[in-house]
Amino acid sequence: MTTVAFTLNGVPISADVQPRTHLGDFLRDGHRLSGTHLGCEHGVCGACTVQINGAQARSCLTLAVACDGAEVMTIEGFDHDPVMADLREAFTTHHGLQCGFCTPGMLIAARDIVLRVPDAAEKTIRRELSGNLCRCTGYVGIVDAIASVIEKRKERTEAALATPARTAAAFATFEPIAPSSTASRSPSSRETLTFAREASLRPGWTRFDESFVIHKPRAVIWELFGDVRRVAACLPGVEVTSCDDTSAKGRMMTKLGPIAASFAGSALITRDPANWSGTIVGAGTDSGSGSRTKGEIVYRLGPIEQDEMTRVDLSVLYNLQGSLAQFSRSGLAQEFARQLVAKFAENCSSQLGGGQPAAPASQSLDVGKMLWLASLAWLKQIFRRSN
Amino acid sequence: MKASAFDYVRPPDLAGVLDMLRQFSGAKLIAGGQSLLPLLNLRLARPTLLIDIGRTEALRAIEDRGTHVRIGAAVTHAELEDCLIPDCPMLRTVAGGIAYRAIRNRGTVGGSLAHADPAADWPLAMAALGATVVVEGKAGHRRLPADGFMLGAFQTRLEEDELVVAVDVPKLSPDARYGYYKFCRKTGEFPEASAAAVFDPFSRTARLYLGALSGPPQPLHDLAATIARQGLAAIADVAIADAVDRVAAGDSIERRMRCAAVTRALKEVFAE
Repeated sequence: MTTVAFTLNGVPISADVQPRTHLGDFLRDGHRLSGTHLGCEHGVCGACTVQINGAQARSCLTLAVACDGAEVMTIEGFDHDPVMADLREAFTTHHGLQCGFCTPGMLIAARDIVLRVPDAAEKTIRRELSGNLCRCTGYVGIVDAIASVIEKRKERTEAALATPARTAAAFATFEPIAPSSTASRSPSSRETLTFAREASLRPGWTRFDESFVIHKPRAVIWELFGDVRRVAACLPGVEVTSCDDTSAKGRMMTKLGPIAASFAGSALITRDPANWSGTIVGAGTDSGSGSRTKGEIVYRLGPIEQDEMTRVDLSVLYNLQGSLAQFSRSGLAQEFARQLVAKFAENCSSQLGGGQPAAPASQSLDVGKMLWLASLAWLKQIFRRSN
Repeated sequence: MKASAFDYVRPPDLAGVLDMLRQFSGAKLIAGGQSLLPLLNLRLARPTLLIDIGRTEALRAIEDRGTHVRIGAAVTHAELEDCLIPDCPMLRTVAGGIAYRAIRNRGTVGGSLAHADPAADWPLAMAALGATVVVEGKAGHRRLPADGFMLGAFQTRLEEDELVVAVDVPKLSPDARYGYYKFCRKTGEFPEASAAAVFDPFSRTARLYLGALSGPPQPLHDLAATIARQGLAAIADVAIADAVDRVAAGDSIERRMRCAAVTRALKEVFAE
């Protein structure tokens, strides 16, 4: 517990809080200020918007303990505010609400727009309001309400802010100085992953293909891939607790920057010697974040250069649910998967005494700071937008 | 949807912050927290200690340093949106387009660079501006080019005991032109594709970068140089597609969005 003291709706308060308590919970649970609504709790919906030191902010993305000494205003604090009075009336007149869940956040954002951008036209109002979601009104009433208050205030003051002009010089051609090269960038190494957005895939499932080459004959790789514990040893963060030829149980630790997860799960393994291919079907759960993943990896080994080297083709199909799926960011998974496969290829090679893998020569492997340890299927999906 | 338990400290000054970083290896810095809080709330990040640098005075200044402007790491996006720095007009353009005002009021420049989300605005914009990230740590002071500071998704050149204290942004000459464009599915969301261009005949710099990739922003140096020499005539769909293909793989939709982002950023450069 940490003691925090700040001014809440004009009244000084002091309370003991756990550092992890965000301002929204602090206001609702600790001070019964239930006008601040909690929707998404990760900064997307805007329902929990309050005012901190005169500026609108997300109470779900602010720690209560970080508000020490601040001036916090919630919707309850604006009862006698003249701008808010105008907005309340306008929201009623223009049907700017239906269920009312978004309204406290909407009003605080709207008040900020009216005061900060006093000449805002519809387009600007819509842009400024983009951080507050409403599922009832379609925004038309809300935008009209804010516009009407802006008009009303303009009539009173006729004050408008001048927008600063941009540099107006015309483009002049010149001979550029060659830029100093920074991190090495090998274009070809970025071309290793292909993604399928196939219509035939079930919703929420994603597939991608990846391949690499190891300087060893196919039979050697085949033998390695048949040994669950040796394969696991090549996968960073993977720990096998029990296994036989057709199944395995274990844990996979993953870390990427501030993100960490530990998936416990199991897999079934089948091998098809006639086609030099195999299938791994698995599922796992990260109890810490409540994320679940399941997936299928199909590999196929092909000889190249009279079987001096082996080409490993991977096809991965997977699905992820829970927090990790919710925290989506397109493109990132591609990079993680690429790096993980590259690391796996490198580890396979070194375990077999075959030196560095021939391809893909990932530039990121030169980086001495690979904090992450990752699951291929998991990573591929984490930041994938759901279809 | 509630963060797991952690301890929290707010050292009074930068020396205190560096001390705490040295002492606690599992500590995580928090400035505005607008990227970290979602991760905490979703329990995707479970640090044991947060060190709050959001109010550290030494990180809060914007200073004119002659050839460049020094932006303190804990300066918020909204502060840059609201102040016009005459020789760095692009900062305002970029800052005003980040997420939503409620986020901009708390999110910081240094936090964005250190968090290293590939889709974030500052890693791209600062690379295009030729900025330098100023870092402080056990080993002392380091100056790292913004281009190359991000190593990959959520990975930077920062050591465990280091933090970003400021970013030095070179001033642009009055003849300089810039462009910045990003494709967002919804206003304020992280972009699907983004591009930044800065051309300054005075310092003879031509920089064009593609952002929102799987890793760090990628430079399109050759295309930028050709444009610097030839002007508008060098901007052709084929040349842009070729430059984009060299640095980023993707499906046809991603490719088209990236090409369009570059084209539109360049269009701003040549806008009357």
